Amino acid sequence: MNVDFTNEELAFREEVREFFKHKFPAAVKDKQEKGIYLTKNDHIVWQKALYDQGWAGINWPVEHGGTGWSATQKYIFATEAAEAKSPRIIPFGLAMVAPVIYTYGSEEQKARFLPDILATNVWWCQGYSEPNAGSDLASVKTKAVRDGDSYIVSGTKTWTTLGQHADWIFCLVRTDDSGRKQQGISFLLIDMKTPGVSVTPIITIDGTHEVNEVHFDDVRVPANNLIGEEGKGWTYAKVLLTHERTGIARVAESKARLNSIKKMIDEAAARGEDLNSNAVFMARLLEIEVELKALEYTELRVLSSVSTGKAPGPESSILKIKGSEMIQMLDELVLEIAGIYALPFVPEQYTEGFDGESIGPLFAAKAAPTYYNDRKVSIYGGTNEIQKNIIAKQVLGL
Amino acid sequence: MDFSLNDIQQMMQDSAAKFIQNDYDFETRRGLSNSPAGYSEDNWKLFAELGWLALPIKEPYGGLDGDLVDTMVLQQEFGKGLLVEPYYATVLLGANLIQKQANDAQKLELLEQVVAGELKLALAHSEAQAAFDVSQTKTRAEKQGDQYVLNGHKAVVLGAESADYLLVPARTSGAVGDAEGITLFLIDPKSAGVQLRGYATNDGLRAADVGLTEVTVPASSILGQADSAAPAIELVLNEAIVALGAEAVGIMEKLLAATSEYIKTRQQFDQPISRFQVLQHRLADMFMETEQAKSMVYFAAMEVAKGGPEASRVASMLKVKIGSAGRLVGQQAVQLHGGMGITDELDVGHFFKRLTCINNQLGSRDYHLQSLINKAAAG
Amino acid sequence: MKVLVAVKRVIDYNIKVRVKSDQSGVDLTNVKMAMNPFCEIAVEEAVRLKEKGVADEVIVVSIGPKVAQEQIRTAMALGADRGILVETDEPLESLAIAKLLAKVVEVEQPDLVILGKQSIDADNNQTGQMLGTLAGMSQGTFASEINVGENCVEVTREIDGGLQTLSLNLPAIITTDLRLNEPRYASLPNIMKAKRKPLDVKTPADFGVNVISGLKTLLVESPQERSAGVLVGSVGELVEKLKNEAKVI
Ligand SMILES: Cc1cc2nc3c(=O)[nH]c(=O)nc-3n(C[C@H](O)[C@H](O)[C@H](O)COP(=O)(O)OP(=O)(O)OC[C@H]3O[C@@H](n4cnc5c(N)ncnc54)[C@H](O)[C@@H]3O)c2cc1C
Ligand SMILES: Cc1cc2nc3c(=O)[nH]c(=O)nc-3n(C[C@H](O)[C@H](O)[C@H](O)COP(=O)(O)OP(=O)(O)OC[C@H]3O[C@@H](n4cnc5c(N)ncnc54)[C@H](O)[C@@H]3O)c2cc1C
Repeated sequence: MNVDFTNEELAFREEVREFFKHKFPAAVKDKQEKGIYLTKNDHIVWQKALYDQGWAGINWPVEHGGTGWSATQKYIFATEAAEAKSPRIIPFGLAMVAPVIYTYGSEEQKARFLPDILATNVWWCQGYSEPNAGSDLASVKTKAVRDGDSYIVSGTKTWTTLGQHADWIFCLVRTDDSGRKQQGISFLLIDMKTPGVSVTPIITIDGTHEVNEVHFDDVRVPANNLIGEEGKGWTYAKVLLTHERTGIARVAESKARLNSIKKMIDEAAARGEDLNSNAVFMARLLEIEVELKALEYTELRVLSSVSTGKAPGPESSILKIKGSEMIQMLDELVLEIAGIYALPFVPEQYTEGFDGESIGPLFAAKAAPTYYNDRKVSIYGGTNEIQKNIIAKQVLGL
Repeated sequence: MDFSLNDIQQMMQDSAAKFIQNDYDFETRRGLSNSPAGYSEDNWKLFAELGWLALPIKEPYGGLDGDLVDTMVLQQEFGKGLLVEPYYATVLLGANLIQKQANDAQKLELLEQVVAGELKLALAHSEAQAAFDVSQTKTRAEKQGDQYVLNGHKAVVLGAESADYLLVPARTSGAVGDAEGITLFLIDPKSAGVQLRGYATNDGLRAADVGLTEVTVPASSILGQADSAAPAIELVLNEAIVALGAEAVGIMEKLLAATSEYIKTRQQFDQPISRFQVLQHRLADMFMETEQAKSMVYFAAMEVAKGGPEASRVASMLKVKIGSAGRLVGQQAVQLHGGMGITDELDVGHFFKRLTCINNQLGSRDYHLQSLINKAAAG
Repeated sequence: MKVLVAVKRVIDYNIKVRVKSDQSGVDLTNVKMAMNPFCEIAVEEAVRLKEKGVADEVIVVSIGPKVAQEQIRTAMALGADRGILVETDEPLESLAIAKLLAKVVEVEQPDLVILGKQSIDADNNQTGQMLGTLAGMSQGTFASEINVGENCVEVTREIDGGLQTLSLNLPAIITTDLRLNEPRYASLPNIMKAKRKPLDVKTPADFGVNVISGLKTLLVESPQERSAGVLVGSVGELVEKLKNEAKVI
């Protein structure tokens, strides 16, 4: 048992640090430091910088342009990326649809889609959830009816994150409703520019436009956009969910966040607010630090067992729950530090182009919106209640 | 990065697990706990044969040079059996402290006897106001010529009655709170002026309060150098926290398994109560806490051994986690067993009691949280 | 005297196994593996023979995947002198195992071969018997007591309703029953010594044995869940229920 980095791993860490020092696009970095919302273009510029470095396909197999990194390398990269305040990699293309394509897609599909995903030439979004299919995802009703060389798709997808930017959407659609509901689901790729596709925004409680409804009104989709076999979409989606566990806890981000919270406390002290002597706050801060350390090691345990070729152990199923709780607890701490300055709702302060003086400390401007927005992390990707059902059933055999 | 046990650790785990399973079922343990000595001498001999008493001791003294991860492996299995033999008192506290504090001749003489199973020890470090922080020790030792005279009171010294020697930290210089000035004495509990008031603890172990009244010992009973014992004691206690953490994880795993089994078989409302989602989620919570606690033990086992100021911070972090996880898992195990959970007959309540006592040993969760806060505030 | 002991890597007997969702077998992912308990008894018996001065070398052999080395090391930690792993990732049926063991016997020429009477994973109870035939050695199965004499070994066998004592000419094969002995715990010093004991790795090809199986597992099912018990009021009621509901008497 040991967690010390080898010399090669230390050298790799240096390389990653060099990358963030010199190749992290300056404009994006500046916004991240000030907490200004990124535009679509910012995300693209950042992801292309990764692509130019050969680091876009973190989990991809080498043959498709992936990094071939070990679990430890991925961990190092995530840690350094979070310390450098880099944006999250938008997962829909690189981390969600690509693995489905390279695992289950045809050669033609791989050639057609993977290079553009790797280079972030195409923006993808995820069309799983529907108004009546949330936790019970297998209840999707969006219909795809075969018509010659095409499917005719009709229905509504919802909560589609960043669908307003998307060129393509990958969907779970119903191709058959005769048998068990899991069986008639297929995995279909749809060009958002196809006639009949429309997107309406949903504004969330933080006042932002992040999610959407996507409507399909008799949309004609070429049948060769179907991944794998008709009716197997549920299996493909599920296999992916269980294999994409690394990073789900977002431990590296939370660690970086905790460090920045400590800086906020020092800044507050400089302003004359002494949080250090607020015993209740400090107790919470340190309990969170303890929990985060435990979570970090839980994640490391999972990474190490995956890297030694074993299936992730039962501890992997807790990453999503504990990771999301951690994000939300950190939000609460920031909200507490922001104090009265959590109140002003002045989105210009964190919107591109702002260069005035902030009302109160800059971090406080976004404290409440971030807290509101992050309520999502215990809801999406399988709610925490559903995760507990999974633990009870699969791990504890109840 | 590697969290797997090496094959020696694995085999040691196997034999410890088998020992607990075959020779240490709950009724046997209850019998031992209720016996006059409170444990089994035969088991102690077996531990010597199996090399367990030698585990954390360095090779020159007949030991096996094990590290904290090795200790962790063994303690986790001991936890599952609620071991009553004074392994913690003799080996993890006593022998470990001798090895870190005593001079070479003393080590040679004492440690080989421990390894052979011929010598038992107890560390009388805790006092009412100093459950963990040895700099708070009030017991004093005054130098009188070639001798020292000790006066003071030691609280809840585990394994004191079975110990051949007590290791007694006492203040020989400085004031209460100073890091310097603590000296470690090796004292025969039968010496004049030593009063042992022995008792059972709530978790079925044995301990004693130790009164020291004008106890006069030669200077040669000082282990290592005078005035210098505090750092070694601190390190040993930090390592002991890792051992307690591992034991607690073993207990939590046991409770998790027992509770999951119980709710699958217990029928109410014409069905196994495991069908009720509120219980499923409760068990999922217990599982998560157990795993998080285990992760923390792994972290601490690797970090505490490195010593230094960070070691005590890490030990405190572990103690905080073990305290809260232990409370949740212990309480819910009892809760989910319904009335059965609070019966003396069932082992579940006894695991719960041990977890509770672990929290109150070596500084509670709140104590260590406060100490983390103090460290954070000091920057 | 040279003793050869065969050991098998199986799921630890404390583990509650779960059948894979496709019912093709038992789910082995992240499941703790251990030495088959009957094999452990075999190792213990051999080591005791050595301690009594009857045996002068105990060789332990296992057939299985690379990780089965763990069980060989365990046997060496319990006192065996050296190990042989016949490495294969194929699931082998008893006959293939017996053929391979027969080859090992041919090479090693042991005076006594001790095996478990069965392994707790498949409960086949036939490898020892098959080996007896292939190696042309006499066999004493289900042994609960063993006494080695001049050129012979006395084996007390547990049979239905009683005990039977046989005398076998050496070389002989013995399969162990539960009551033969109580295996010791591996001590730490011996665990460490085991690391330095020799372990040879061979393959079935080295012995020229074809391990292709003529047997296929079609279906594995979990036992029926036990239903709740009932409290009966009287012996009469119990007898009545056993007769009419359970239909066992
Ligand atoms: C910000 C955001 C972004 C999202 N982005 C996407 C996206 O890009 N693409 C996409 O396809 N989806 C997306 N989602 C959808 C997300 O996956 C769903 O919200 C999620 O699966 C929960 O479904 P629901 O909202 O319908 O809640 P419901 O399923 O209606 O759940 C309501 C409550 O009931 C609980 N509950 C439900 N069933 C059970 C049960 N069996 N046992 C116990 N409790 C239960 C839930 O935990 C929850 O607390 C996004 C969601 C959010 C909030
Ligand atoms: C100290 C003590 C004194 C008592 N004194 C008396 C007395 O004087 N007279 C008397 O008649 N009784 C007495 N009782 C019995 C007491 O009322 C029962 O213990 C209690 O009703 C719970 O039943 P149980 O112990 O069988 O637990 P169970 O019913 O087996 O419950 C086990 C666990 O499952 C949970 N559970 C059960 N059903 C559900 C469900 N549908 N949904 C969710 N969770 C569920 C329970 O909350 C519990 O956590 C006493 C109990 C105790 C502990």
